[in-house]
Amino acid sequence: MKILVVEDQLQIGQMLQRGLSDAHYTVQLVSSCAAANDALAESSFEAIVLDLGLPDGDGLDLLRNWRQSGFNEPVLILSARGGVENRIKGLDFGADDYLPKPFSFEELTARVRSLMRRQSTVKDTVLDHNGIALDLVSRTCTLNGQPVDLTSREYALLVIFMQNQGRILPRTLIAEKIWHSHYDVDTNLLDVYMSRLRGKLDQQPGRCVFKTVRGVGYQLV
Amino acid sequence: MKGIGARIAFWYVGAASVSLALLFVVGYLLIEWQSMQALDRLNEAGFHQIAARLPPDPARLSAAELEAHVREVTEFAPALYYINVHQRGQAPLFRSRNLRGAAIPDVPGQLNFITHVANVGEMRATEFKIGLLEIMVATPTQPVRQALLLYAQISAGLVLAMVLASGVIGLLLSRMLLAPLRAIRDTARRIGSDNLRERIPVAHTGDEVADLAGLLNQMFDRLEASFEQIRRFTSDASHELKTPLSLVRLHAERMLGDEQLPLAHREGLQDQLVDLERLDRIIDDLLFLSRADAHAMQLDLQQQDPAAFLSDFLLDAQVLAEHHDMQVSLSHSGHGQVAFEARWMRQVLLNLLLNALNASPAGSQIRIASLLGPQGWRLSLEDEGSGLTPEQCARVFDRFVRYAPPGRPLPSGSGLGLAICRSIVGLHGGQIQAQAASRGQGLCVVVALPLA
Repeated sequence: MKILVVEDQLQIGQMLQRGLSDAHYTVQLVSSCAAANDALAESSFEAIVLDLGLPDGDGLDLLRNWRQSGFNEPVLILSARGGVENRIKGLDFGADDYLPKPFSFEELTARVRSLMRRQSTVKDTVLDHNGIALDLVSRTCTLNGQPVDLTSREYALLVIFMQNQGRILPRTLIAEKIWHSHYDVDTNLLDVYMSRLRGKLDQQPGRCVFKTVRGVGYQLV
Repeated sequence: MKGIGARIAFWYVGAASVSLALLFVVGYLLIEWQSMQALDRLNEAGFHQIAARLPPDPARLSAAELEAHVREVTEFAPALYYINVHQRGQAPLFRSRNLRGAAIPDVPGQLNFITHVANVGEMRATEFKIGLLEIMVATPTQPVRQALLLYAQISAGLVLAMVLASGVIGLLLSRMLLAPLRAIRDTARRIGSDNLRERIPVAHTGDEVADLAGLLNQMFDRLEASFEQIRRFTSDASHELKTPLSLVRLHAERMLGDEQLPLAHREGLQDQLVDLERLDRIIDDLLFLSRADAHAMQLDLQQQDPAAFLSDFLLDAQVLAEHHDMQVSLSHSGHGQVAFEARWMRQVLLNLLLNALNASPAGSQIRIASLLGPQGWRLSLEDEGSGLTPEQCARVFDRFVRYAPPGRPLPSGSGLGLAICRSIVGLHGGQIQAQAASRGQGLCVVVALPLA
C-alpha cells in the first residue's frame, strides 16, 4: 500500500511518514507541488495526503489540475484552514476527504483506511460482531438472537462501528457522519449515546463492547 | 430607477408639448392680427372705389343721389363689401343690400373694429369720413375665422402627435441617460463578499455618472482590501497556530504509544490532548467570529420547513436533557418555508440548550417554542434556572462573557458560544435576544429569523 504525503512542514511530514510506516504503509514524502507532480508521474499511489499551503503553490490548484488531467487517486486534504466553507471547497475541487489540523494520528489513519476502502466497497447486508448482528436492509439489530430496540441515532452509530470493526473511530469522524458537523464534539452528546448503546449491548458487567480511547474516540472490541 | 426614467420622460413630454403649444398660440395670434390688417386694407380699397365716384362735396347729395353713386360699387362686389353711409347721429343715408336692412354700428372713437351685424354675422368694419359723411365699410371675418379654426385644429393635432412622439423619445432618452446608472446598480448588486473583484465599467466621458462610478469603484477597492485582509489574517492565524498545535499533538500521541510510559505521565499526556482539543476549538471559534462578523463567509441557505429540522434536533435534545435529569418539550405551530442553513441553526440551538442545561436545576423542564407566521420564524428556548438581570441579558452575547448561577462556579466553556449564536443568527439576517422567562425566574432566549 503506497501513500504519497505532500507536506511542506518538515517535522509534521516526518511524523506522518514515521506513523504511517508503522501502520505498514509505504510512504513517499514530498514538500512541494513540483515534487508531488514528479512523484505522481513516476509511480502510482493508493492514496494521497495533501497539505494545502505549499511553498510553490496552493494544494487546491494542484488537486484541480490532477483531477482535470485524469488522476483519480483518493486524496485526503490536510489543512490548517478549518471551517465548513474550506472543507466544502476542498471537496468541490475533487478531494475525497478533508481533515483540519491539528488532527489526531488515529484519526488520520482511520480516514486513510476508509479512503482506500472507498476504492473497493464490498457491501454486506448483515454485519456480525461478537453476537451482535445488524441487518442493514430491515434496519434491525439482534444480540445473541434477541432483538435489541435501538433509536434511529443509536442505529446509525452502531452501523458506523460495525462497518469499522476493530478500528479506533475519532469523535470528529463520528460527529461528521451522524450530524454533518464538527461542533457536536463540544457537547457530550456522543458520550451519552455511547453509554446508551453500551447499556443495550454490553453482555457481561465489566466487559465493554466499546472501548473509550481518551482524547481520540471509540473502538468496537 | 424606473421612477426616475418615467419622471424624465414625463418632464420631456411636458416641456416639448407645452413649448409647441405656446408656439402655435403665438402663431394663431399673429395670423389673426395679420388677417385683420389685410381686411382693413381691403375695406380701405373699397372706400377708395366709393370715394372715387362721389362728387367733391357729397354731403350735399340727397339720399337718392347718393344711392345712384354708391350702388354701382356695392353691386359690383356684393359679397365683399358691406357699406352704409350716414351723417353723424343720423339715420343711414345708404345701405348696401347685402346688409339686409341692418346697419353697421358706429363705435365712437374707433376707426377699425370688429362688430356683429344682425343677419350677417361678425364683420371687420372701418369708418371713413368725407366731410360730414361717415362711410362705414365692412368685410365678413368668416373666411378668416374658418382659416384660423383650421389652423387651430391642425395645431391641436400636431400637439397631440408631439405628446406621443416626445413620450416615445423621452422614454428612449431616459433609458439612454440612465443606462450608465443602471449598469452601476446591476454591478453593485452583483458585488457581494464572495465577488468583490468585479468593478463598475467607467465610461471615459468625464461626466458626473463616470465620476460616481469611479468613486464607487474606489469604495469597492477599499472594501475588497479590508475583506482580503480579514481573510488573509484568519488564514495566516489559522496556519501559524495550528501547525505547532499539530506537532504538539502528534508528539503527545507518539509518546502515548510507548508501552513503558509511567501511568502518571500517560494521564498527563491524555489531559494535554484534551486541553489541546479545547484550545483548538477556541481558535476555531475566534476565527469563525472574526470572519462572520466581517461577513467574510457565505451561508448555504436552503428554503425548508423548520418542523422537520426541529423534530430532528429534538431527538438529540431529549437525550442530552435526560442525561442531565431534565426534560425538553417542543411546540411548533405554523407551516411554511424559511431560508436557513440547518447545520448552523442546529449549532445555535445546541449552544442554547447546553447553556440552559448548565443553568437549570435537576428535574426542571426546558421549553422550546417555535412559531412560524407572516412576521417570520420565532424560536424561543426557556429554562427554569435562576435567570439573568436585565443588564446581564444585554451583555450575555458579548465575547468571553460568562455568568454563573449564584453559589456555583463559572461554567467551563470559553464564553464564546452565545457570541457565535449571535453571529450565526446575524448571518441569517435575524436577531437574537435574552429576556426573563414567561414563567418562573429562568432565562428565555428568542431567535427571530425573517421569512425571506
